[in-house]
Amino acid sequence: MKPAPFEYMVVDSAAQAVEALGRFDGDARCLAGGQSLVPLLNMRLMRPAAVVDINRVPGLDGIAVGDGVVRIGALVRYSTLERSALVQERLPLVARAVPFVGDRQIRNRGTLGGALCHADPAGEMALTAVTLGGSISVVSPAGRREIAVEDFFLGPYTTALGPADLLTGVSLPDGAGTAAVVVEHARRHGDFAVVSVAATGRVGPDGTWVFVRIGLGGVADRPRVAARASALLAGTRLEPEAVRAAGEAALEVVDPGSDIRASAEYRRHLVPIFVERALETLRAQVQTGAKA
Amino acid sequence: MTARHRIRVTVNGRSYERDVEGRRLLVDFLRHDLGLHGTHVGCEQGVCGACTVLLDGEVAKSCIMLAAQVDGHTLTTVEGLAGRGELHPVQEAFRDAHGLQCGYCTPGFLLGAVALAARGAILEGDALRAELTGNLCRCTGYQNIVEAVERYLKQTVGGATRG
Amino acid sequence: MDKLPWVGVSVRRKEDERLLRGAGQFLDDLDEIAALHVAIGRCPYPHARIRGVDARAALEIPGVEAVLLGEQVIARTEPTSVLRPFPGSSRTGYFAMAHPVARYEGEAVVAVAAADRYVAEDALDRIEIDYEPLPHVVDAERALAPGAPRLHESIAGNLLVGSTSKVGDPAAAFAAAATTVSGRFRINRVTGAPIEGRGVLARWHDHSRTLELWVSTQTPHLVRAQLAQSLRMAESDVRVVAPDVGGGFGIKMCVYPEDIILSLLAIDTGRPVKWVEDRIEHFRACTHAREAVHELELAAAADGTLMAVRDRYVIDVGAYNSPFGPPMLTNVMLPGPYRLRDGEFDRRVALTNKVPMGPYRGYGQPESNFVREVLLDRLARKLGQDPAALRRKNLLRPDELPFQNISGALYDSGDYMHGLDVALDRIGYAGVRARQAEWRAQGRYVGVGISCYVEFTGYPSSAFLGRTGAGFGAYESVTIRMDRAGRAALYTGVSSFGQGTETTFAQVCASGLGLEPDDIIVHRGDSQGTPYSVGGFASRTMIAGAGAIAKATEQIRAKVFRLAAHLLGAPADRLEVAGGVVRRVDDASVQIALAEVTEAAFLAHRLPPGEDPGLEATAYFDPPVSAFGYGTVAARVEADPRTGAFDLQRYVLVHDCGTQVNPMIVEGQIHGGVAQGLGAALFEELVYDPDTGQLVNGSFVDYFLPTAADLPRFELEHLETPSPSTPLGVKGVGEGGTIGAAAAVANAVCDALSPFGVELDALPLTAESVWRALERARRR
Repeated sequence: MKPAPFEYMVVDSAAQAVEALGRFDGDARCLAGGQSLVPLLNMRLMRPAAVVDINRVPGLDGIAVGDGVVRIGALVRYSTLERSALVQERLPLVARAVPFVGDRQIRNRGTLGGALCHADPAGEMALTAVTLGGSISVVSPAGRREIAVEDFFLGPYTTALGPADLLTGVSLPDGAGTAAVVVEHARRHGDFAVVSVAATGRVGPDGTWVFVRIGLGGVADRPRVAARASALLAGTRLEPEAVRAAGEAALEVVDPGSDIRASAEYRRHLVPIFVERALETLRAQVQTGAKA
Repeated sequence: MTARHRIRVTVNGRSYERDVEGRRLLVDFLRHDLGLHGTHVGCEQGVCGACTVLLDGEVAKSCIMLAAQVDGHTLTTVEGLAGRGELHPVQEAFRDAHGLQCGYCTPGFLLGAVALAARGAILEGDALRAELTGNLCRCTGYQNIVEAVERYLKQTVGGATRG
Repeated sequence: MDKLPWVGVSVRRKEDERLLRGAGQFLDDLDEIAALHVAIGRCPYPHARIRGVDARAALEIPGVEAVLLGEQVIARTEPTSVLRPFPGSSRTGYFAMAHPVARYEGEAVVAVAAADRYVAEDALDRIEIDYEPLPHVVDAERALAPGAPRLHESIAGNLLVGSTSKVGDPAAAFAAAATTVSGRFRINRVTGAPIEGRGVLARWHDHSRTLELWVSTQTPHLVRAQLAQSLRMAESDVRVVAPDVGGGFGIKMCVYPEDIILSLLAIDTGRPVKWVEDRIEHFRACTHAREAVHELELAAAADGTLMAVRDRYVIDVGAYNSPFGPPMLTNVMLPGPYRLRDGEFDRRVALTNKVPMGPYRGYGQPESNFVREVLLDRLARKLGQDPAALRRKNLLRPDELPFQNISGALYDSGDYMHGLDVALDRIGYAGVRARQAEWRAQGRYVGVGISCYVEFTGYPSSAFLGRTGAGFGAYESVTIRMDRAGRAALYTGVSSFGQGTETTFAQVCASGLGLEPDDIIVHRGDSQGTPYSVGGFASRTMIAGAGAIAKATEQIRAKVFRLAAHLLGAPADRLEVAGGVVRRVDDASVQIALAEVTEAAFLAHRLPPGEDPGLEATAYFDPPVSAFGYGTVAARVEADPRTGAFDLQRYVLVHDCGTQVNPMIVEGQIHGGVAQGLGAALFEELVYDPDTGQLVNGSFVDYFLPTAADLPRFELEHLETPSPSTPLGVKGVGEGGTIGAAAAVANAVCDALSPFGVELDALPLTAESVWRALERARRR
């Protein structure tokens, strides 16, 4: 399987990238890590007129903390996230999610920006972003803007990005001191999740949870926040009855499909079970003081 | 035929300057343009890892990279391990543990092990297996591959730190 | 040969030096020879009439040299022969390209030769093909039912072949039996998926009017024979060479359509043409395997003694009868290592609009082992007996062998009960049984499962193959040539695809010549210059190959002794050769270097009267019997009754493959077989959409090959009962690992979840399938 012909260009700035994207008006694709794009090119499932290599655009590979957020540049690779002490401390949910992505080779090349643009409904980075909330930075011929994460993912492999938009980074809330867990069911190690649950929260001084946020992946056309389930847990100690109620409530936001990995019915069956497991792990993390 | 791009890349310590079509895959460039056949094609989807090379010292799947992307970078392929001389310790470990049968997936595993050693990782068992999920083998059932890599890491990283 | 210094030794493999360096030469590495590259256009529908193919736009692309159409292929070739037909099979007329009807998604419809593969694929994009989709059927039982779309004009009801057989009086046995159990089992469609796909490089030598084909194949000679027949050429005008092959497992056997397509393009363009299968084509054009539905019944006495078996099954063979078609050993090995004297089989092979079926490691044995061993456990549960005890009651004892099973297979040697005992001991069977109740009280569901098997290896003589309609023999052959310096060159038609034959043949040869394996150069896989070989499959290579090597080395050794006797003035029958030296057995000081003897043979200055120059031998060996390995698998799992997920905690395999030429290589073969067995048991399945008739998951993304993190450590125990009837006492070893895996794990899961009454009857076993079994059990 070899790609169909395309024009390949390397750009040295975000402005150049945006200009190229605008020029091709939807028929150009950005190449960052390429771990999702190039297989699609090889299979000729995508036949863009142009491929714009943005790997040399400066300023897109940083991780910075400030003003209560952590800003991650679009070109930060998964392996960088994995090795970053800053991410471990300030974005523990991201740190928990990254090991589930692909394999070592894919994590060495794939980027956070690429993951968010690809918008796989079972993708761990999209799930993490949706669970934490935050905003996505975009540059276009019209200038810069921010898109709230909750407005970013529109459907399977579909985002709010326009044809000439370049995703430059994402800002996620500073999670220092939060507990975080990601649990998944998959057909194989490293495979796309059948069902994934991301959960994060903070315990107050009196031992009750100030907030808990539960996100679900693989069970709808995009990652979902289980809002009511999450709300039920505020002020609790994640007691078994509260956890069970949250698990049941999480079903409200799912609309799973059937595919080669699992049926809709089975996914639905797993949701409360995995939500419970995630919450039990959160509780245990805090009780033992464990961060692992 | 679409435009060609001039690339300069160092492979196994040697510098090359070539013109490539934008869509030319890195694995095809290595195999057919540079004549380095040790990197293999198994899927062209980035799953099986038979195409694994070291890109600036880190494992990457060359079937899902464009040759043009490696302009200015450094690559190592399996041919860079022993050259014409004696087998590299990782190759000896695989030979002694019978960690290969048909040999088609082997170059990818060898380079993965070398990258782990470079990072100072002494992994074994499940932790090691988790690092190897990007390379598929259909002949060995992985058991002897795991043993070969464990031995190699203990001997290379463990031996080095025992100084 | 009584002293075999290199048999039983884990010698380093000869293959490794080149493979480790990345210097192996696989098909796609043959850059210097290839001039044009081929891409093949394949039918995207499961069943379609091809109304027209317009390639004019493609031919205008710079770099496109030639296009080959289906009607040209039909006109210029014969349909592929079937080398191992089920007796009574209808002919499916399998041509290398579809015209005017394509019968499976993936069937070749057009081929393009161009400057490189990129351009060839661009050309395919510009070829307009007018398809008229036809009604399709992708389920075997539906294909056999009235009203199903007919695939082949001449084959009513899509029944390729049906047969029944009966031994003893099963009806009476079932009627008299105290208990019967029955089950309906679905075996999944899988494929071997070697990491190297297929490939062909074809070259037409105009000066000699001969064809040269490089093929990634396990069977160069069979490809040659079939190719010549299809192309209407003399076999001796065709040369087939296998380079290093990146895995075979049974699916790189015999001629494929692409071999014929490439040959025609080589002839048409006058230039060497190469085709390398990409992974998307692989799933749609390389043979599939195993898919079947079994309705199995066992009859037993009240104490669990097996009385009779009845198996009614349907195999889904796909759209055509490929050269090997459906597996043969399902019936043959269904009785397993048990004392059964009454049985009947009803076998139907159905044609469907899917990729044709071909052989895959195990060849029917994984299928029959699964259905029988799972049903045996159900019988045990019904009778309230322990599954190990039930098996012990029925396993054949060593003193009952040789034993002819109800399908006519003659088990030669083995201690099946000992194999079971060792497996139970290693897995800690008694300990698990003792603690199961305690664990369940804690909410932990741990189980252990067993699977016993006998393994059919090799073919019992060429005459047997002839009687059963095969188009090949059971033998292997070898030519061994000494050189002047006392080294040996061994020529075998068997190719190198990971099984280590290059090394193990050298070990056997060195043992026979008094040399070391390093002194033997093994030339392999080239039909030119090797005597007629059958190839590497059916776990037959060492049995037949060792026999041929033994005969050839004996001839050479006899001549060496005659020459040495003449040179030394000693009697030939008092000589031995070892370590490169020929010496008198009773006086070691009387000796001569083997290299001196070989030089004498080629200089021919001082030969004994009547002796010809030279020192070589060609020998064929036709094994008179098959050899039967055996084993027991014991698996331990812990299952979650909420999700159906289970953890395969331990996997023990006790196996006996007779004499081991190279124990290290044997162990590697077992590991690989187990991994494929578990892959098919727990992860893999080729799924067809019933509405579109298309393959849903034909890529490595969606066909779940297990990774290193998905498989456990395998705990192996080797027993060694030499076969009484093969050279060296070897039995085949390549396939055994696949046979018992699925049943052992299924039985372990059912055992773990027995409080819930779970029954499993389909592969692969996944968390979801176990959950559904739990749900079914709850509803009962």
